[in-house]
Amino acid sequence: MLKLIGNRLLQMLLIMAVVSLVIFAIFDSDKFKRQIAVAELGGFAVSALSDQDYEAWLDRKGLNVPFYDRYIKWVAGVVTGDFGRSFEKAEPVSRLLGDRLINTGILAFWVFALMIPISLTLGIIAGMREGAVQDRAVSFVAVLTTSLPEIATAIVLTVIFALGLQWVPANSAMVNGWDWRQLALPVMTLVLYDCGYVTRMTRASMAEVMTSQYIRTAVLKGLPHRRVILRHALRNALIAPFTIIALQLNWILSGVVVVEVFFQYSGFGKLLLDAALFGDVYVIQAATLVAVFVAVISQIISDVGYTFLNPRIRFS
Amino acid sequence: MTSRKPGSSDHPKVHEAFGLMKRGRMDRREFIRVAALLGTSATVAYAMAGLPEPAFAASNMPFPADDPKAKAGGILKIAMEVQKMEDPATYSWVPMSNQTRHTLEYLVMTGPDNVTRPMLAESWTAAEDLKTWTFNLRKGVMWHNGEEFTADHVKWNVERWLDPKTASSNVGLSVFSAMVDVTDEKDAKGKPIKRLSKGAIEVVDKNTIRFHLNKPVLSAPEDCYNYPTAIAHPSFKPPLSDNMIGTGPFELAQLKVGDRCILKRITKTKDGKDFNYWGGKVYLDEIHYYNFETTNQLPAFASGDVDGVYQFSVEQLDLAKSLPGAIHIARTAQTIACRMQVDQKPFTDKRVRQAVLKSVDNEAVKKLVYPEGGDIGQNHHVAPVHPDYDPLPPIKKDVAAAKQLLKEAGYENGIELTIDVGNTDGNEQQTACEAMRDQMKESGITLKINILPSAKFWEIWDKTLFGCTAWTHRPLGTMAMSLAYRTGVPWNESHYANPEFDKALDAAEATLDVHERKPKLMKAAKILQDDAVMIMPYFRPIYTMVGKSVNGYEGHPTQYHQFNKVWKA
Repeated sequence: MLKLIGNRLLQMLLIMAVVSLVIFAIFDSDKFKRQIAVAELGGFAVSALSDQDYEAWLDRKGLNVPFYDRYIKWVAGVVTGDFGRSFEKAEPVSRLLGDRLINTGILAFWVFALMIPISLTLGIIAGMREGAVQDRAVSFVAVLTTSLPEIATAIVLTVIFALGLQWVPANSAMVNGWDWRQLALPVMTLVLYDCGYVTRMTRASMAEVMTSQYIRTAVLKGLPHRRVILRHALRNALIAPFTIIALQLNWILSGVVVVEVFFQYSGFGKLLLDAALFGDVYVIQAATLVAVFVAVISQIISDVGYTFLNPRIRFS
Repeated sequence: MTSRKPGSSDHPKVHEAFGLMKRGRMDRREFIRVAALLGTSATVAYAMAGLPEPAFAASNMPFPADDPKAKAGGILKIAMEVQKMEDPATYSWVPMSNQTRHTLEYLVMTGPDNVTRPMLAESWTAAEDLKTWTFNLRKGVMWHNGEEFTADHVKWNVERWLDPKTASSNVGLSVFSAMVDVTDEKDAKGKPIKRLSKGAIEVVDKNTIRFHLNKPVLSAPEDCYNYPTAIAHPSFKPPLSDNMIGTGPFELAQLKVGDRCILKRITKTKDGKDFNYWGGKVYLDEIHYYNFETTNQLPAFASGDVDGVYQFSVEQLDLAKSLPGAIHIARTAQTIACRMQVDQKPFTDKRVRQAVLKSVDNEAVKKLVYPEGGDIGQNHHVAPVHPDYDPLPPIKKDVAAAKQLLKEAGYENGIELTIDVGNTDGNEQQTACEAMRDQMKESGITLKINILPSAKFWEIWDKTLFGCTAWTHRPLGTMAMSLAYRTGVPWNESHYANPEFDKALDAAEATLDVHERKPKLMKAAKILQDDAVMIMPYFRPIYTMVGKSVNGYEGHPTQYHQFNKVWKA
């Protein structure tokens, strides 16, 4: 097990090194340097600059040093927790990223806190009797919510709950300080989308378990249905959803972009989009490292959890 | 109302302009603008014009008079994009200048009525040849660190703007471009380097500074309110937000780019003395800017998060009308230039360009994009809001002529073109191009629209073969024409080069008399129109809105914020 975790972490470091190198190389091009100049000085001003003035500007921004020098300096900084300075936001990337990750973490916490019990419950109810009314009803709703893009769900929820019923605010910019009510719509949007997917996976897993021979044996032995479900079926049926839920950690980092931008919520996704549009290389680098880290960690959690939950793997 | 005459202390050209106004050859609004630019106080200029002056505090003050009903205190919350505040001399967007405007101030201030009034400069005078400008600085202006504001500080700023290392766009302003000379030095591509002319800035005394120009410039004071000309303290080092020392009534309390910018009234200098603001009463305690993109600003206002918005789009006009508050619609010269590079195929052939223009009905495009407000464009860059505008004969869509021109140019079976659109000022640009695309089909022109993120567009705006560029408002018709279409100027994105046009524009720019200038400028406009350089379908209105509790707010055609006399009920 430790070897598995060690290998995964090693892989993670390797991926981080390769990805950061590739991003650095891409953003070292003249095209991207010019993009930063345009974003900072404006298109009109950049076009009026002489080559010498432009080079002087690059010097001042530290963009006129060789690629490998910048990369080595950046790696050395990362080791000490210094991810560089954002060109767009004009503040240290580590502080910026920290603030935004906390905000997205809060959002993710509520999404998981609601999504896990709801989707597991619905998935189990649906999978208990394949083809029954509750299965068809749950499956229909699950397919519907998953097939609706997040932006559509966000609009529908805004129209109903913010503009129509006026129960919650329409945006989550937290202008007047932290307001939990402003989290309602982004959380609902993400929960609705993700719930459908996890419910379907749970339902499929449950349905499969319910057709296995040991469940049939338990039923034929005359055990009460409730006991068959809770004591025998549930544990095995939850192995697959567990790994899927762990992998949702990774999904939420990319999934929040649309939701955060739509609701003006200052989180990781909005930061990433702003940085990509601006060409803010140090923010993109740091965000990429975070994304790789979360992806690998969620994979490790999934693998380790799967191993513990599945005795066939544990004892093999 | 009776009018007074110019006195002996007034500039000779004020006498000349006064005569023109009296003979009906210059309208009174234009006279006020010219007189104010030449150093006559706005109050006196209004009196000469026989017009009641808008309520302003005093003749040498830029702000409106105090409202006796005004209440002190409160926080004004505005939805706007919150941007970084690094170097005021290289500011590239108006929002960042608005975040700075209440801390760092300008030599002058151009009000919503397009009249320029004294600010840090108490008054100014120009030599008869308009090549020497003397600014008398206001006495008793205090920096936030307790120092007194002097002419040396202005000199330091101007020198810094004109240092090529600063990369300030101020170099392109008429008054400052007339203070630099081409040197023997050359850049990597062999282009000559321009540097500040020797003796161009003269500090006469502690409170007087003089600019010696190498060509006549009429709009020197007006140029000093362009947004990157805010006066910074000589101790300034980027980023500005780290140590912001200004002369204004507010100081920066918090800046989180992309989130919020909080300004608070300054009461003590950095060394603990009482801060005395030169500009009289200021009512608000705090000004808060909250980051909302244009499309989200009005919804934020509707939900009560903010008291006002920086701007909203025409699609949101109906929503705005349904909300309680005051809508401000400014008539401007802001526009889009769907310009073709005349030295690149297929646009080297004038017939192709003419066919493109003849395929489009500008009036229909304008009505579709801006059903309310705005003006129809005539494919040149002089707007009806400009004092030197005169309408040219209406242009009409002519499909048959367009087809014939294409046939003559060798495109009998039609032509496929691609236009780059960045939507840098909103989605209306895309809507306009889509309308043009549909209209061009009839003539056999297949127009493909390449939508780019605005940041990407600004990388290629002057390089693309066919692009839709947003141009901001400028007070005179000559200004944009000179910046964008004169041979070889940096912002000549169409690569247009016509000596006849340059000559006509030179003649217009050298003419003070607006009635005499009009035909000269419109001659240049007609040349530009005939050469079919661009489709300029409209001049757009600017929409802003504030809540009922906000008093003293006025919309500015360039969206500049000046909240000194704004108060909340």
